[in-house]
Amino acid sequence: MRMRTWAFCLNEANLNLLRNPVLAIASITTTAVSLLVLGVFALLSLNINTITTSLENQVAVRAFFNQKTSTVQEALELKTVRSWRDVRQASVITKAQALQQLKKEFGSQASVLDSLGTANPLEDSLTVTATTPRAVAAIAKQLNAMPGVVRVSYQSAVVTRLFDLVDGVRIAGLVLGALLLLGALLIIHNAIRLGIVSRRREIGIMRLVGATESLVHWPFILEGLILGLIGSVFASGICYWLYVAAYQGAAHSLPFLPMVAPNPTARDVSLMLIVLGVLLGAIGFRLSVRRLARV
Amino acid sequence: MISLRNVTKTYPNGVHALRGVELEVAKGEFTFLVGPSGAGKSTLLRLLFREEVATSGVVMVNGHDVGRIPLRRIPHLRRQIGVVFQDFRLLPQRTVFDNIAFALRVIEASPHDIHKRVEKMLELVGLSDRQRALPAQLSGGEQQRVTLARAMVSRPLVLLADEPTGNLDPANAQEIMRILLEFNRQGTTVIMATHAAQLVDRARQRVVEMEDGAIRRDELSAAYHEGVVR
Repeated sequence: MRMRTWAFCLNEANLNLLRNPVLAIASITTTAVSLLVLGVFALLSLNINTITTSLENQVAVRAFFNQKTSTVQEALELKTVRSWRDVRQASVITKAQALQQLKKEFGSQASVLDSLGTANPLEDSLTVTATTPRAVAAIAKQLNAMPGVVRVSYQSAVVTRLFDLVDGVRIAGLVLGALLLLGALLIIHNAIRLGIVSRRREIGIMRLVGATESLVHWPFILEGLILGLIGSVFASGICYWLYVAAYQGAAHSLPFLPMVAPNPTARDVSLMLIVLGVLLGAIGFRLSVRRLARV
Repeated sequence: MISLRNVTKTYPNGVHALRGVELEVAKGEFTFLVGPSGAGKSTLLRLLFREEVATSGVVMVNGHDVGRIPLRRIPHLRRQIGVVFQDFRLLPQRTVFDNIAFALRVIEASPHDIHKRVEKMLELVGLSDRQRALPAQLSGGEQQRVTLARAMVSRPLVLLADEPTGNLDPANAQEIMRILLEFNRQGTTVIMATHAAQLVDRARQRVVEMEDGAIRRDELSAAYHEGVVR
């Protein structure tokens, strides 16, 4: 089509939007809200993912030796462990060091440990951190098989629970987002249908004077795209702005929280929302094609 | 230019609108289609611009086998045919100028071309001074003149008019008739379905009379009623 024909179609689409402003606003609002929810959940789950990963990285595996294990053997085993793949760091903590650590953690209440006298019920241990979170379980298993090791412990419960949380947030976001998107889609579809009905006369005359079907379709395609685009630009802008605000707020009051930086992640999510919005408009039109053919 | 061979049309509700119609219309001819309501006049016209498809038989317009033309070619067929109805069918929110220009915009004419041709048509139908008016501000006769201008602005080879004077008083009907004959004089083939006996009698053109879906009479320079000689 020629440039002026695009201008003609755009003009027809605009006329239609202006003729049904209430429905246009409803379409834009529902599109914006549903995309915003989707965007917020996407960023939320991305962040929980990062937090989980970073926590997992900090998880150390501790293998406790029985009392009879000699210092020499412990040193040998430490050497073996350090040679494993996926081991970032490994060190032996003697029971004396462990007791020292415990006293430190008890702080002002450390005096309760005085009742132990000179006895130290603790065991020597080997502390290992992994290079990747996924290797933690495997390392624990290997440690367990080593001579002199009585038990192995690592904070698996926290990590598992966080992973569950990520999955939960992701599923909730997807379900909620999908339902809202469906609602937005139906409202856009309805706006286009109403446009078709209210423009029956134009469509009839266009066909009568020899307009091609694509020329009959384009004003409605553009209408769908414009509705989707405006809605998604709102959603995208609000989503990005909210995230930057949250990020700055968190950096100030929760500096230990490893949040994902707004760029490029939030920017990409925002751009994705625009793509989704436009897609929504296109599908909204596609659903109306049959109605258009019957005019 | 136009030929119908053994054309029948049966609507899905079982109504036999046309039964074995045979008709030839030469290029540049003016033909009145007369007969009682329900005789099949409108159906015949609708077959010509592919608003309907014949149940059987062949409909040819300017070399196109209208019934077998692929869907994507229909717009090109329609650009060769101007159509005018009794109920005008103007776009109420657009000015007279825009209503006429609409027909050229959808076939992607250049703005310069649109301006030139619309102006010329306005002059031809005598509405140059009303081009900024909206249809609602026009009389019935003026509205029908706008639809005539819209139908003719893309210079079709054929003009189909389905009771174009049905809603007009005699003076306005006369004016529409004058314009139709003028288009015909300039070379356009015109087929006009009508009940206006006076107009037919005065014009003395070919008259094709239909009854019950078939052609009953086909006479050159004839009157509305059979056997009437003036």
